[in-house]
Amino acid sequence: MKTIYFEDVEEGDELPPIDMLLTKDFVRRYARTAGMDFPRFTDDEGARKEGLPGMIAPGVLSMGLLARLISEWNPAAQITRIGTTFRSPVLPDCNIHLLGFVTQKDDEQHTAECDIWMENDDGERWVIGTAAVALPTKAA
Amino acid sequence: MAFDFDRSILGQVFDETDFPPITKDDILKFAEALGETNPLYTDEEAAAQGPYGGLVAPPTFVTRLRPQKMTPEHMPRFGKVGFDGGRDLESFTPVRPGDVLKMVSTIHDIYEKTGRSGSMYFIVLRNEITNQNGEKVAVVDHRIVQR
Amino acid sequence: MARMIDLHLHSELSDDSRAPVEAYLKWLARKRDERPLDGIVLTEHRQFDSHSDYRQLEDKYGMLILKASEVETEYGHVLVYGVNDDMLKRFDFSNVRLRAQELIDEVAGMGGVAMPCHPGRPTIGLIEHYEHRPPLEGVVGVEALNGGSKKGENERVAELIDSYGYHAFGGSDAHLVSFVGICATEFEKNITNTEELVDALRTGGYRPVDFRVRRTPVQNNA
Repeated sequence: MKTIYFEDVEEGDELPPIDMLLTKDFVRRYARTAGMDFPRFTDDEGARKEGLPGMIAPGVLSMGLLARLISEWNPAAQITRIGTTFRSPVLPDCNIHLLGFVTQKDDEQHTAECDIWMENDDGERWVIGTAAVALPTKAA
Repeated sequence: MAFDFDRSILGQVFDETDFPPITKDDILKFAEALGETNPLYTDEEAAAQGPYGGLVAPPTFVTRLRPQKMTPEHMPRFGKVGFDGGRDLESFTPVRPGDVLKMVSTIHDIYEKTGRSGSMYFIVLRNEITNQNGEKVAVVDHRIVQR
Repeated sequence: MARMIDLHLHSELSDDSRAPVEAYLKWLARKRDERPLDGIVLTEHRQFDSHSDYRQLEDKYGMLILKASEVETEYGHVLVYGVNDDMLKRFDFSNVRLRAQELIDEVAGMGGVAMPCHPGRPTIGLIEHYEHRPPLEGVVGVEALNGGSKKGENERVAELIDSYGYHAFGGSDAHLVSFVGICATEFEKNITNTEELVDALRTGGYRPVDFRVRRTPVQNNA
């Protein structure tokens, strides 16, 4: 993990993708840690009783993973804003792909805007969003 | 507008919660649960050399704070089931071990649109989080979809 | 003037989009090789942007920028091109229960054209509604290629088009900057303004174009 300075970032840069198998265990561990130990996030049968096809990942877990996408791209990037829309339920166990691009740079503020999203193997985007990051500058 | 509700509920505070101090363990466990490897969130020694002078929580940590009332007591009901439609988080100051956080929750907005699952009613709840120094930590807008 | 146009995208004026228009244009300039577009049409959700003037941006980027709307009806979502004051007086674009047949007929009468989008999508696409309602009269074309569609949704549209003889167009349905132009429409004639766009959409001589690139993911690196 290396610090990426504002001067080294370009509009169009791709954030290094994270491809992972999102397992039910991973989701359960998050749900318990985050005080969301509810059937819809931990148990298929319980989730079905709520009208869901099976246990789902909490939206904020997807959001946290997209924040991690940025953190792994650049540990020195300070997320000042992150917004996500949960378009489709995320049902583990499933392959997920966390992707993003730097879309805009602000030369005065030393900030950048990124598109971030989670898609499945078919390229369907389950979660989409954007993040604003403050970046360190070499001049500082 | 095809649906109606008492607009005076917008902006009204429905919950104020003071949380017990955040521990180092809370932060480390949360980071681990996301698979985070950034030393700022996972390594106290390394984080001490970093820009914050110590361990800080990942930015979405504030979404794990569960206030006494997650939703208003007399939450408008436009549908039978509620789902998380999305979150917008603005982050001002990082959360550190020992922080004593306060959350104030309001109903920020209510609107309607149609989507894959039919007619959807969006209720936007806003959580404003401050710390023991009175500093703004974060503002989270939580879009609840009812259908 | 333009022949390759993204007919369906949302700027920060639409909810769920944070994309400034200029950022879309910069992205297209950068992606010119992959997505050779020369025009975009901003189709904002449940509203028409009467105020923005994009002429400076058009000149700066050499792109055609037109404005339209995406509205909601009992037959699903519909893109309205050629929006004018008469239409805005007649219809409340923020109403999610507009009557589709009225919309199509009256928009046509007022110089515009209303075209169903993502027809293969559950609930808000035409195909599902045609299963239990009479087909709409006066539909000239539908969005055969939508950049935000799930697997199978775009494929279902081919049958619809054959059965009803609809023209077919494409659009990205972008809500994020990096998705602009992933699907578009290629016109035989040059389009220089909204009137020419409406005329072309009504008469034909266009086809959907797919610029999506499939990614090959690396397995399980987390």
